[in-house]
Amino acid sequence: MSEHENAPVLCEECGVNEACYTISVMMNGQVTQRRLCADCMAKMNMNLAAGNVKHLLSAIMSAITGGVEAAAAAAVAPEDDVVCERCGTTLSQFTKSGKLGCPTCYTAFREQLTPMLQQIHGRTQHAGRKPLDTEAAQRRRAAWERLSRQLEQAVAVEDFESAAQLRDQLRRLQTEGGED
Amino acid sequence: MRHDIVLSSRVRLARNYEDVPFDVSQRPEFAAICVARTVGALKAAGQDKGFQLYRLREMPAASRQAMAESRLISRDLLNNAESAAAMVRAEDAMTVMIGEDDHLRIQAIRPELDLLSAATACFRIDDALSRQVSFAFDEQLGYLTACPTNTGTGMRASLLMHLPLLTKGKQMGNVGQLVSKVGLNIRGVYGEGADALGNIYQISNQVTLGRTEQELIATVTALGNQLCDMESALRDKARNEGRIPLEDMILRSWGILTHARLMPLNEFYQHWSNLRLGAAMGLLKTPLALVDALLDRVQEAHLCVWAEESLSGQAMDEARAACIRELLAMS
Ligand SMILES: [Zn+2]
Ligand SMILES: [Zn+2]
Repeated sequence: MSEHENAPVLCEECGVNEACYTISVMMNGQVTQRRLCADCMAKMNMNLAAGNVKHLLSAIMSAITGGVEAAAAAAVAPEDDVVCERCGTTLSQFTKSGKLGCPTCYTAFREQLTPMLQQIHGRTQHAGRKPLDTEAAQRRRAAWERLSRQLEQAVAVEDFESAAQLRDQLRRLQTEGGED
Repeated sequence: MRHDIVLSSRVRLARNYEDVPFDVSQRPEFAAICVARTVGALKAAGQDKGFQLYRLREMPAASRQAMAESRLISRDLLNNAESAAAMVRAEDAMTVMIGEDDHLRIQAIRPELDLLSAATACFRIDDALSRQVSFAFDEQLGYLTACPTNTGTGMRASLLMHLPLLTKGKQMGNVGQLVSKVGLNIRGVYGEGADALGNIYQISNQVTLGRTEQELIATVTALGNQLCDMESALRDKARNEGRIPLEDMILRSWGILTHARLMPLNEFYQHWSNLRLGAAMGLLKTPLALVDALLDRVQEAHLCVWAEESLSGQAMDEARAACIRELLAMS
């Protein structure tokens, strides 16, 4: 009923060209929507390369998911939204805040995150330090090796009763490990 | 090393527990888990010696703000004061912040240009913790962090540099280009936006994914050395070609800092920069460590703690002037 004629929206940066990107920018903790033309979007990307990425993160995200067609539309269309099953964070929430909800978000949004990480870091394969094994993991591995050796011996001497018990213990160890 | 130009080196590692959502600021039960687990793990690893636990909400506002002014904790941690905590080892400025953007920010600050020793201190704590607890880590993406700008190593290595003559010579534009060419970041430390009050700049790595910690540290250190060489060349030139104007500038600032009765912060930075230049070039006898200590001591919360009362307006400027006179009289 209220069919308004869609007047072209002008770029909020230069005020001259028609805006074809809507980006969400974090400024002082507030998320603001800004509409930009292609020229100003390009400039924004230049600033991204040189300046503080953190506050402009969502700008990249919108550029990737939105594209030119995203004129005057939200960065992530509701039907394209993805939710992290573990923490409930949605792709559109992440696009607005620039913050992921939990480690599993990296898996849930992998498709969108990979080009974004590529743009921020220029690479997507980690190089560098890794966590050491926890003491619990070390203990489990030692126990695993000990039980496996005992199982080999039990089988060798055809002590099937011990072998069955050892198999049970190994299975239990495996499930404990899976929960860790 | 390079103390005449580099004030300090800082390394910070972002780490998260695998089974807790990143943002715990609004979720006290998760914040409590992070604090208890971190304290317990440091203790179990035998690395808790010298550390003191501070729960921010239990501290007087001025005390915790003073910790942020000394950079022992970050402004972001301060913003989460209700739920956040910090393990601080004051003797070597080592901090494990709990409940910032990421669960843990392991941070070490060292005087002068010495990123390697700051990094080594962080790695020792990181290794000790990772023997006890599981951090969110992915074989492809490395350490998983709340913000994708930290993913990978989760490491930020930064130098605080005093570059008065590069600034005066209008060369910071060139410096900026040099910095972004090698993929680093530069910004002023004090003041808003493009200001760099006191001509103090922070350079740090921009990317965190796909380079080793050693590569990142080497890049920041190399650029730090390059900027030192550029600033040093200008200092040598000033010493040889413009000694009287240089001494005049420095000694005027010395006169003002040792005699003023009111000292607004903005004016302080301008004179501090001249004071540090004079001390670094041997034109003043004031030890550099004392000059650098002034930077923290004149900040608002430090002054309130020093004066043992809450200050504002003119009383703040008066206390600042008095504190500066007292400290400089010791040199
Ligand atoms: Zn425009
Ligand atoms: Zn999630």
